[in-house]
Amino acid sequence: MLRNKRRSVIAGIAIGIGLASLIFVDALIIGMENNMVESATSTFLGEGEIHRDGFRSTEQAELTINRLDWVVSHLKQEKIVRHFTERVMSFGMITSPANVTAINVVGIDPATEKNLSEIDEAMIKGKYFEGGSERDIVIGSELADLLEVGLGDRLVVTVAQAGTGDLSQELFHVSGIYRFNSKELDRGMAFIRISKAQQMLAIGNNVHEIAINFTSTEYGQDQQLPFWKKYSQFGNEAIGWTTILPELKAAFELSEFSIYITGLILFGVVALGIINTLFMSLHERMFEFGVLRAVGTRPFGIGRLIVYEAGALAVISIFLGVILGYVVTYIVSLIGIDYTGIEFVGVTFRRLIYPVLEVRQFIEYPLVVFFLTSLVGLYPAFYAAKMSPAVAMRKSL
Amino acid sequence: MQTTSEKKVIVTEGVTRTYSDNGVAVEAVRGIDLTITSGEFTALVGPSGSGKTTFLNLISGLDKATEGKVWLNNRLLSEMSGTELSDFRRDNIGFIFQAYNLIPVLTVEENIEYIMLLQGVAKHERHKRVVEILKEIGLDGYQDRLPTKLSGGQQQRVAVARAMVSRPAIILADEPTANLDSKTSGELLDMMRDLNAKTGMTFVFSTHDKIVMDRARRLVTLKDGKIEADEIVN
Repeated sequence: MLRNKRRSVIAGIAIGIGLASLIFVDALIIGMENNMVESATSTFLGEGEIHRDGFRSTEQAELTINRLDWVVSHLKQEKIVRHFTERVMSFGMITSPANVTAINVVGIDPATEKNLSEIDEAMIKGKYFEGGSERDIVIGSELADLLEVGLGDRLVVTVAQAGTGDLSQELFHVSGIYRFNSKELDRGMAFIRISKAQQMLAIGNNVHEIAINFTSTEYGQDQQLPFWKKYSQFGNEAIGWTTILPELKAAFELSEFSIYITGLILFGVVALGIINTLFMSLHERMFEFGVLRAVGTRPFGIGRLIVYEAGALAVISIFLGVILGYVVTYIVSLIGIDYTGIEFVGVTFRRLIYPVLEVRQFIEYPLVVFFLTSLVGLYPAFYAAKMSPAVAMRKSL
Repeated sequence: MQTTSEKKVIVTEGVTRTYSDNGVAVEAVRGIDLTITSGEFTALVGPSGSGKTTFLNLISGLDKATEGKVWLNNRLLSEMSGTELSDFRRDNIGFIFQAYNLIPVLTVEENIEYIMLLQGVAKHERHKRVVEILKEIGLDGYQDRLPTKLSGGQQQRVAVARAMVSRPAIILADEPTANLDSKTSGELLDMMRDLNAKTGMTFVFSTHDKIVMDRARRLVTLKDGKIEADEIVN
């Protein structure tokens, strides 16, 4: 390896770049997952939700949360719950002088909703439920375009009442327009005050959903958390975001799989470099290996020498790769990568993605590189071991 | 009956080596029968392409005969596995090459002790033998030098020391003087003759150098892969 330092360094850099790429991709995927979870849960969803059994699939107005007072009073005492808010939800029709469309009408408590969702931060026109008017309605920018309405314009919302199915209509004034860059939110939802929604649906003081944010994002994806069992009684169900958005969880599993594929491809390219380097080094010293074999070095001894060289190359590469991987990932983790506005599996990135460095990345990947590099070294090692000493000496002469 | 001093160390019977050169079979060595007894100082001579080096490779087990048999110290080479052959060469044959072939990153001592290292000789014993043989070849005190710091003649002396230090029965030298001037070649050959006389080791050279031929006791002349002449000269 020291005989041709430039070649060894170039090979080491090539492998090191592969290792650095693995570390960076891993850190980026973690950052992306965190970003997606945060975007998905903080936009509107929350990290957990409580509903009446069956509500999620049918959205029937009469399926309100059972024993709401018990649920709310216990939630207030939960140490792991940071915020929660109550919501009333229903399919409905929204009509303007220009158009009509089906939407999800969501009744919210503006004060507590601010702690859960980012509707207030996404306002592009008007205000987020300021004042006390019961007839304020906040809609998405795409819905406003469709209905051809602006601030202060009138809209009629029609919903079917619980139990009887009688239609209930109310007139609203557009008080605010938001934009999340998410079609589902910008085109398909309209927010009104919860008391008005309860009145329209004739459900008294009941609600359909309680959205929850925990003190740690880990709780939302821990399906074994006792919290879920505690609130999944009296005919209600309590679920985390992994259940609410299974496609997001599947996307994360896909991400993890993709890192293996990326690693495999990267290493495949690097492996060819290693084989090439070792073979070049082998051919350069063919006569020496021939001499070593001639004087009594066993075939295994020659092979072992090549594997040791591959191992030494791996150590140099790991040294370079770890430094490069750390520096590049650290810099990007400070700057961030701008994917804002891009939608992926139903989640729109709303913030910069910051790669996340973990100690594990600097242990697992270097070990993988070391073992795979040594493994790749077996091929030239086997070649050298099988080489006839006479042929080896004749070739170089 | 054979005496110890006349023990047959190399015996070949009908040894042939055929190469394929662009699909054309080329016989480098053709049915050579030869016996070399212990303590001989023999030179295989002949023009380039006569088969000297190929024959040397065959009798050392570095190459395999296409036909015929080779015995070294009563062991039939064709019956040995790769590892057995390596061990056999390590313990029975010392090699001297035209280009010295010392390992450039190792010191003189490390180069000389390499074979003893393979044999598992203890460090103390290795060092003792290296010092002794360096004294014998006139390079006393050179053990810590790198080969690149030595002249061609000195490097070849180190190569001789490396070949002899493990006390093999046979020393095979392929054109050992090809890269040396005539004075250095003469000195090297005289030194090897002295060692041959002292130790009783068998020396077999492949050469077309007159200096080597002048000092050899037996000349085996090869031509077109066959023995043309076999004569005792000294």
